[in-house]
Parts: sequence; structure tokens; C-alpha cells
Amino acid sequence: MSLPSSAGDVVFDTEIAGSSRATIALFSEATEDPNPIHVDAAFAERCGFPQVIQQGPMTTAHFARLLARAFSASRLRVLDLAFSAPVFPLEALRLVATVAAVAAVEAGRLRIDLQATKADGTVTARGHAEVDAETE
Amino acid sequence: MVSKDHEGRTYPPYRLRPDPELVRKYWLALGQSGADATPPLTYPIFLRGERHGVELFRDLDIPRHRALHAGQRYEWFAPIGCDDELEVSARVERVIEKTGKAGTLWFVDVVYDYRLLRNRELAVRETSRLIKRGGV
Repeated sequence: MSLPSSAGDVVFDTEIAGSSRATIALFSEATEDPNPIHVDAAFAERCGFPQVIQQGPMTTAHFARLLARAFSASRLRVLDLAFSAPVFPLEALRLVATVAAVAAVEAGRLRIDLQATKADGTVTARGHAEVDAETE
Repeated sequence: MVSKDHEGRTYPPYRLRPDPELVRKYWLALGQSGADATPPLTYPIFLRGERHGVELFRDLDIPRHRALHAGQRYEWFAPIGCDDELEVSARVERVIEKTGKAGTLWFVDVVYDYRLLRNRELAVRETSRLIKRGGV
């Protein structure tokens, strides 16, 4: 099967199951994140959220993992995401990656558009990746 | 506020080696329970700097309850293996103040360079975009 390489090709369109509070806490441990907003519901409320929030970097990590699986880690050059809405425990995310252009940024690279969306349509992250084009 | 005087601020470099237990927890939090000992591409993250003296939130006067993570950018130049030791240097790249309907926000870009200690090659550059919300 050939890899996505033309503008408009979908690299992946994947649903990531919602993370439990325990999983979110585990990610905080794994990233040495000291912010209580991810583990302490009372603190999260003080910050204006109804409950703890999932780390934005968890979305980044899932995109990186999926892109590496699609293209191989050695071809991934850039991943750039802006977080636009909080993700709460057990909220599933739909992660979509689409080839936007070839050689738009630098010769020999694919630009991939990225978007993470909740089930209700809220976009929680948007950005792009750059991947080395396949070599013969 | 966050003073623009912080722009250009650098920190003494520190060393980082992927911790196998944190790598395991990282993969587990992403739902990957296999025994992959390879550090995730996004294993290098600014949060790890805090226990090495890069106390951004304190230095930039961003209380945790007013901090948000606006986004991340990774640039990969060379792979990082489980046995690689890294030298990490951090700098505050940019401080921007914006006032809108939600009040005043300060956007701070911090850049972390991860160099392989064995050959000084730049392996990863991570930019994190932090937000300080107005209020008390």
C-alpha cells in the first residue's frame, strides 16, 4: 500500500478513547508535570474548570505516535499544535491528519494538516506536521 | 503581567537521560502497553526542566492557577535512544501581551534545545507556548 503523498490524502482519521483520571495522572507522572490542574479537581475548579483537564501535550504525543506509525519516526521533522479548548476525562478525540501540500515549506517535504475534535465538534487542537517525502 | 524584560533570558544547561520507568509510564498513558523501551518522540518536554532549576512559572510570575498551555512545536533533527544523554538549554524567546474581551493575556514562548552529549548534535528543539491569564 502506498503512503499518503498527494494533497488531500488522509493520513489517518482515528478516534482516541477518552482518558480516565488515572491515565491523565499517569501522563503527569510520565512527563514530570507538577501542575495540579490535571490531578486535583478542587484546584481545577479554582482555575475555572468543572473538573481536571487532560494535558495538551497528550494530544501532541498521540499525533506524534500516529504520524510516526504512518511515515516512520525518522521522517517526521516538525509537529506544531495550538491547543484551543480543554479536554476533560473520558472525552474521546477524533484525530485527523491530511496531506495539505507537497514541498510547500521546503523541497522534499510533505505538509500535513492536523486537527483534534471532540464528539460535539469542538476543536481542541489544530496545527501541522512536516514529514520528509519518501526517498526511492 | 509578564515583563518583556524576560525575553532572551537563558538558563544554565542541564542534563537529561530518558528514564526507562517514565518511558514505560508514558507509553502506558498513551494506551501502548507494549514493552517498547524507545523514548516517545515527545519525551523531551519543558516540564522536566523544573527539577533541574528551570523554574519558568516562578521566574515569569505565572501562578499555576492562571497558567494555560497554548501549544507546542517540536522539530526533530536526530533520533534519541534510551541510552542517550542530552544537554538541555532553555531560553525565553518571546513575551506578548494581548487584551481582548477576556481581559489581558500574556503569551510566552520558551524554547528548549536538546543536544546529544556524545556529539553535541541538536536532536530536538521544543517550543512551548504558555499563557498567563489576568486576574488574581
